[in-house]
Amino acid sequence: MAQTKITRTSDLTFWQKLYIPEIIKGMKITIRQMFLPKFTRQYPEERWNPPASFRGRPVLVEENGKERCVACGLCSRVCPALAIEVQASETELNKERYPVKFEINMLRCIFCGLCEEACPEEAIVMSKEYELTFNNQEEAIFGKDKLLISKENLKERLEFLRQYR
Amino acid sequence: MAELIQTQDRKLRTEEMVIQMGPQHPSTHGVLRLEVTVEGEIVTHVKPYIGYLHRCFEKHAEQMGNYSQVIPYVDRMDYVAAMSMEWSYVLGMERMLSIQIPERVEYIRVIMAELQRIASHTIAIGTFGLDLGAFTPFLFLLRDREMILEIFERTCGARLLYNYFWIGGLSHDVPLDFVDRTRQFCTQFKKTIVEVNNLLSYNEIFIKRTANVGILPANVAINYASSGPVLRGSGVDWDLRRDDHYSIYNRFDWQPQIGKGERGTVGDCWDRYIVRCREMEQSVKIIEQAIEQLPDGDVQSAIPKRIRPNASEIYVRTEAPRGELGFYIVSDGSGSPYRVKGRSSSFVNLSVLPEITRGYMIADLVAILGSIDIVLGEIDR
Repeated sequence: MAQTKITRTSDLTFWQKLYIPEIIKGMKITIRQMFLPKFTRQYPEERWNPPASFRGRPVLVEENGKERCVACGLCSRVCPALAIEVQASETELNKERYPVKFEINMLRCIFCGLCEEACPEEAIVMSKEYELTFNNQEEAIFGKDKLLISKENLKERLEFLRQYR
Repeated sequence: MAELIQTQDRKLRTEEMVIQMGPQHPSTHGVLRLEVTVEGEIVTHVKPYIGYLHRCFEKHAEQMGNYSQVIPYVDRMDYVAAMSMEWSYVLGMERMLSIQIPERVEYIRVIMAELQRIASHTIAIGTFGLDLGAFTPFLFLLRDREMILEIFERTCGARLLYNYFWIGGLSHDVPLDFVDRTRQFCTQFKKTIVEVNNLLSYNEIFIKRTANVGILPANVAINYASSGPVLRGSGVDWDLRRDDHYSIYNRFDWQPQIGKGERGTVGDCWDRYIVRCREMEQSVKIIEQAIEQLPDGDVQSAIPKRIRPNASEIYVRTEAPRGELGFYIVSDGSGSPYRVKGRSSSFVNLSVLPEITRGYMIADLVAILGSIDIVLGEIDR
């Protein structure tokens, strides 16, 4: 095997050979950081409040105790990860159709926000929730009970959508 | 007894040894396995094994219902530089549909892509320093990357996987404080570059570890079709932003950076490293100019209602932070892509690894791999 000869520069001065001045030069920069404001957050105690543009877990908007959703199925069709399952049924209300079953598989969801974009009724929006934990796979499939959030709690996001879209 | 003395007199017999490095090795930057053949401590051959992060991106893209559903998957190719990935795919689709996109969209895309380039290079040089034992620059750079991610988050709602560039426009306009935040970042980042240069780039210990290590001559780099900072580090002046005339890069005053072999030979690890450092300075320059010129307008005016290109095919390439990123899109006239092939720069750049590690120590192998800057998500797709 033809070995490449490794040449290393050896034209260091005496002080550079000691390496100590080089280390001190670096240390000067790092020690200065101790007196600058802290950049980190003590996470579990200090909560982070995301901006209105944040795409957390998708939720269904609840208005007057009922979901806005008309079960058109656009969100489930546009979802690239096939995470949404909707089953429609008829209702006496004005909107005529409502979802009997609305499930989002949070293990599949990729938080792309396309469902929110596709929804003609502004019924599914991305919330601010970013802490998602499950103990098993069944728990990760969110039904209507977990998805419905009242309109008042989603005010900021709905306003954002109207402003920027 | 006589026999024993005889064996001691004989020259020590050595033989090659095969070492598995990875897939859970911290300095392989993901799930990459390297089969390293060593003779003592000298590397004689390296064979990269890939595929641990294969997610069938190309097959997924074929299964999608329409063309815009591919964008979230494109994000996940190179998750460190998702904006650049999106841009390449979206640009291909726009050329296919011959859409003229508004000025404002072009400017925002340039700003976003350059911010993303800085964010990606901070990770690249931060982890490169980390591999070689310099922890502090990594933290400094991540602190500044955080500012970029915050800008992205306020704009499109996600920190890593944006789904922001859409075919013909953007998912939404930038927020009101976008310009101020970006300017603030530029002033802050210029200070950080000086800091990192003092701390890492011109540090004698760091130079000792990287200069004259992993020399990639220009002709070998071209033969292996490597691109991006790896190619430019070898002294080849080739940047698609300037040479391929896509978007509006010709309106700004900037220079592609090439390695000159200041501390060692042209194409060594230090050259590849410093090219990234200087590219970040150039990116800041581009961002500052683009922010000044940012026009008003509607970012969604050119988004087509139905995306159904005629039966055709297109290859589009852009300069992603890691090199040439290409998308070969084939349409059969239906609403979903017939074939989407990604040409990822990390995959091509990695193939040069066996060539440039031969004859170096194992410790240098870590440095060389770090200087190539691979992202496994892009390699395996």
